[in-house]
Amino acid sequence: MTRKKLSEGVAAVAESVAVETVNTEDLKASLEEVKGYDGVIGYILRNSTSAAIELKDPSKLIEYAILSSSSLDAGEELSELFNLGDVKHIIINGKNIKVLSMTFSENKISVFIEKHGDLEKVLEKLQSFRG
Amino acid sequence: MLDKEVYSTALKDALDEMRNACPDIQNAFIFTETGEIIAGDADISEKVMIRVIDAFDGIMERAEALGGIESVTIEGDRGTVTLSRFGENYLITAALEKADMKYVGTLTRVLIPTVLKVLEKLSPTPTKKAIISPKPAAEVEIEPLEVKEEPLEEIEEGARMEKPIEESKPEPDSTKSTSEALTVEPKATQLMVENLGGLRARGFLFPSDTVRIDSEILSEWENVFGGKPVEFVDIETFDGKVLRCKVKPIKDLKYNSKGVVQMSEKMQLALEIKKGELVRVKPVFE
Repeated sequence: MTRKKLSEGVAAVAESVAVETVNTEDLKASLEEVKGYDGVIGYILRNSTSAAIELKDPSKLIEYAILSSSSLDAGEELSELFNLGDVKHIIINGKNIKVLSMTFSENKISVFIEKHGDLEKVLEKLQSFRG
Repeated sequence: MLDKEVYSTALKDALDEMRNACPDIQNAFIFTETGEIIAGDADISEKVMIRVIDAFDGIMERAEALGGIESVTIEGDRGTVTLSRFGENYLITAALEKADMKYVGTLTRVLIPTVLKVLEKLSPTPTKKAIISPKPAAEVEIEPLEVKEEPLEEIEEGARMEKPIEESKPEPDSTKSTSEALTVEPKATQLMVENLGGLRARGFLFPSDTVRIDSEILSEWENVFGGKPVEFVDIETFDGKVLRCKVKPIKDLKYNSKGVVQMSEKMQLALEIKKGELVRVKPVFE
């Protein structure tokens, strides 16, 4: 009996890990596609075990990484303060660059887009991961 | 002449009207780029407003990487929070999920700038000056200090520990020449130690040989010394320890105009001081 429950639990965990892995890989594939959109200058994808950073200008890596982290932190804090529920996305409109940040379970992403880039198109593409 | 109270009331009325026109706007308030709250609706406490400003702090600090911030939108399942920039002022609006965000956006983009412009016209004093009444930092002349024997260790490349100042006696007026601006003995300003906050405190890259002080103090020094930029300062403790380090203006909104000097904990350890203690900060012109 106990062994059965244990094996069921292990199977559930294994399935969950497998789903997560698939999601991360799918997400990465989508981000690679998004990277090819006009005006997209890169993205950051990170979770508890790994991070993928693709930026056209690597010199901005640290600034962008901190911005990504800050925006997601701000989202969580403000969601709590204003009872916003689950944060769908965070958009920072800079004078030159726009940033779209989203969280999909443990995957946190930020996409950096030039001012003229089509943020809505990127958002539409990535929102499909929300299910 | 518009004073702070009138200015604040006018903006508060504008915010109330905005909420009347669009009841889906739950909360709204305005703050300056230095973090001073100008006006807020009656339903939001100051404590919450401060937490909101703090939440945006990290983004603001890195805004330069994006060429400055125009707006930030956080959309959740049950509502949306927006930060919109209007010159030196920021408007925060929190709206319900059902709110028509295009309408909210149009309303705020028309109403708030118009009111701000009217107020600016009525009072030539810029918003920032009209609202902010920074606590003036106490200025003290550096007195000769006792020299400690043991040399202090360097904590970081670029940060130089020095022995206490020996030659900080006031210069007699007769020594002043045509290049007076550059020969005037720099005045030390007494500031309270504050930790470098936010992301920096969490170990993100930030040079620990750099301190941050109020941009107004830096401007004052620069004015006194003929516009020469202040790149280094001597941080002097009351125990006589002196550390020369780079200086930059404070970016954290909540610490500006508060008479503080922000420094890393590493630097505090080296100076054997901690948050809340007073130090003298003196510009260095080399």
